[in-house]
Amino acid sequence: MIGSISFMEFAWLIPFVPLLAFVIVGFFGTKFKGGGGLFAVSCALFAFAMSGLVAYEFFTGSGVPYSPDPIQWLAIGEYTLNFGIYIDGLTCVMLLFSSSISLLIFIYSIGYMSGEGKGKRRYYAEISLFLGGMLGLILSSNYLEMFIFWEIMGVCSYLLIGFWSFKHPDGDEASAAAASAAKKAFLVTRLGDVCFMAGLFVLLWSFKSLDFGVLFDPAEIAGVDGGMILLGILLLFGGVIGKSAQFPLQDWLPDAMAGPTTVSALIHAATMVKAGVYLVARSYPLFVQNADAMLLIAVIGGVTAFIAATMALNNMNIKRVLAYSTISQLGYMIMALGVGGYIIATEMAHGDVSSDGYTAGVFHMMNHAFFKALLFMGAGSVIHAVGTEDMRRMGGLSRKMKITSFTMLIGCLSIAGFPLFSGFWSKDLILEAVMEPSSHSIIFVLLFVLALITAFMTAFYMFRLWFMTFKGRTGDASAHCHGESPKSMTVPLVILSLFAAFSGFFIFLGLNDVITFSVIGGEFFVGGHGHSAAYIMDHIMTNVWTYVSIAISLAGIVLAYMMYARRSIDPAMFNADGKSRIYRFLTARYYFPQLYDQISLKLGYSVAKGVEYVDENLIDGTVNGLSNSVIGTSGSMRKLHSGYVRDYASFMVIGVITIFVVLYILVTSGGV
Amino acid sequence: MIPIELFLLLSAVLFSIGLLGVLVRSNGIVILMCIEIMLNAANINFIAFASHSPEPLAQIFVIVSIAVAAAEVGVGIAILLRAYKVRKSTNIDDLTTLRW
Repeated sequence: MIGSISFMEFAWLIPFVPLLAFVIVGFFGTKFKGGGGLFAVSCALFAFAMSGLVAYEFFTGSGVPYSPDPIQWLAIGEYTLNFGIYIDGLTCVMLLFSSSISLLIFIYSIGYMSGEGKGKRRYYAEISLFLGGMLGLILSSNYLEMFIFWEIMGVCSYLLIGFWSFKHPDGDEASAAAASAAKKAFLVTRLGDVCFMAGLFVLLWSFKSLDFGVLFDPAEIAGVDGGMILLGILLLFGGVIGKSAQFPLQDWLPDAMAGPTTVSALIHAATMVKAGVYLVARSYPLFVQNADAMLLIAVIGGVTAFIAATMALNNMNIKRVLAYSTISQLGYMIMALGVGGYIIATEMAHGDVSSDGYTAGVFHMMNHAFFKALLFMGAGSVIHAVGTEDMRRMGGLSRKMKITSFTMLIGCLSIAGFPLFSGFWSKDLILEAVMEPSSHSIIFVLLFVLALITAFMTAFYMFRLWFMTFKGRTGDASAHCHGESPKSMTVPLVILSLFAAFSGFFIFLGLNDVITFSVIGGEFFVGGHGHSAAYIMDHIMTNVWTYVSIAISLAGIVLAYMMYARRSIDPAMFNADGKSRIYRFLTARYYFPQLYDQISLKLGYSVAKGVEYVDENLIDGTVNGLSNSVIGTSGSMRKLHSGYVRDYASFMVIGVITIFVVLYILVTSGGV
Repeated sequence: MIPIELFLLLSAVLFSIGLLGVLVRSNGIVILMCIEIMLNAANINFIAFASHSPEPLAQIFVIVSIAVAAAEVGVGIAILLRAYKVRKSTNIDDLTTLRW
């Protein structure tokens, strides 16, 4: 706190200012020079600065979650829906890396999107909304608020993936692909979102509230049926599967590469897919109520990490390799969170427990944000220079693009888990966390092996990407490369490469005490009670598995070097010149797109048929029958109208006489 | 004093003549006249009862009824005049175009 101003009271400005930028740039972008780019950047800068101040205030404060009385939004019967902010260590870490990376991406966009002309207004408006959505989601104090921002991001991802659906630099076919990729991303994540919403209903029904303050209260949790909590968390995790592209809904993310590279960086590093992981981390007090659910989550994470890594092995598109690696790394994070939750869930009843898995997952999320943003922006720089995404047409670019190639090398070393780079620390923590409960179940040993194999594949495909792009013989596209990218693109690369190289050391500089989750005396604590830096260092350095994982990632790097730089091993001998069955299987992405198509066709078509039958026969039948009977009746009735006055007069007279007679009979018979 | 039944009989006869006229005649003017006869039959009823009662209400009602009848005839004649301009006839059997 500086003076008497509390920045946390104004934390709502963090999402509000980018949302405001969306409105201003969206309506008046054409009035700005450069389509409002500088305005969007300054709003992102504000969000970053504000996040920094809030985080500083929080970390120097008492460490108790800050959640002021929320604004009551709706009151429906006994339920009250609120709008508020919730700040704890996790919020601050997320805010810091989301806003800083977004800021760098925004700056980079000024160079990357410089040729867009009128489209810039839409672009800057939409990325501002995207950032606002992410920051709002991070600061939300209840699940409904979170869900709203979650959906805002869903819409933004749709708009931005399909940004080139009107006019793609690569022609009409590419713009049609962009449009369908956007639709796919929207619909597949929608499947998850429906689960998320159903989860909200379950939780609202069980807890009578969606506020974190209520839901994360051990006393409240104890009063709710465990089955309902299990149902609630599984449905919430359904939302995570959609948003964070976990198995089996992982297939939208590679297609999402159809958008501009900056958008991919935004989706993969700072926003969107991180929201799913964040949701798991945020909901930990609920998730740890059921050990089996956490085991399922860990297994889904491990499977995702593995199959996505296999798909990256033989892909030729530079951005798609990065997309698969994102899915794979997200799998790692989910696996770490699942394993950590499993430990807490099983040990919670026996006393105080804290979780390495949580720390490892969140830590990896942060590190991944830095090196993945770096890799995507590096790839964007390459694509900007050579005009293609096909790695076979690149090669030998390191001489022409020194900054890009060097910064990307740092990113690759980091993601491959090269010692001392950021990815090394978090990946090792994850591996260790997965090994921790191995005495409970053989599944964890399998997960550990899966994670090790994935680590090997990660090192291999990332260096395959780097060697194919920057080393080897000069490809036809890189022959007419026009040199290094502009300053607005290289400066963010350099800044990010510093973070990608060194962000791992944050764990020794206080982060170890921030991103922890512990149960002490039956209460949940985020932050505090972490292991000391010396303990972590000692643990990593004396663990034999650390050296195994280092050896494995080095082996991957060396293999990639032999195959793609020195070419002493011919890649063709592994895949029979791209004709082997497994090669085609991987290229076809395990036939997941076909599986989606088949399921949605069979299911969707039969549902549509049923709906059509009901519509045509039941609903239309009722309406038509009603109108036909009215027409028929009136058709016969209109014959009565002759138009002759005397006919009407006669009817009247007859009517009056009839009434008179009836009344007379009634009166005389004494009925009335 | 003349018994009230005679008045009622006269009134009933007049009303029946008027009703028959409305139902069987096709000339608009004659129909209007028949309606007048029916109204006056009702007026005779009122007056007959009024003479057997101290209340002045029935007499007032008759005066109102005569005024309404005058207005009604005014409107009726005006409609017939317009119809005559269009159709060159006051025969209401010709005025059947508004049926369905």
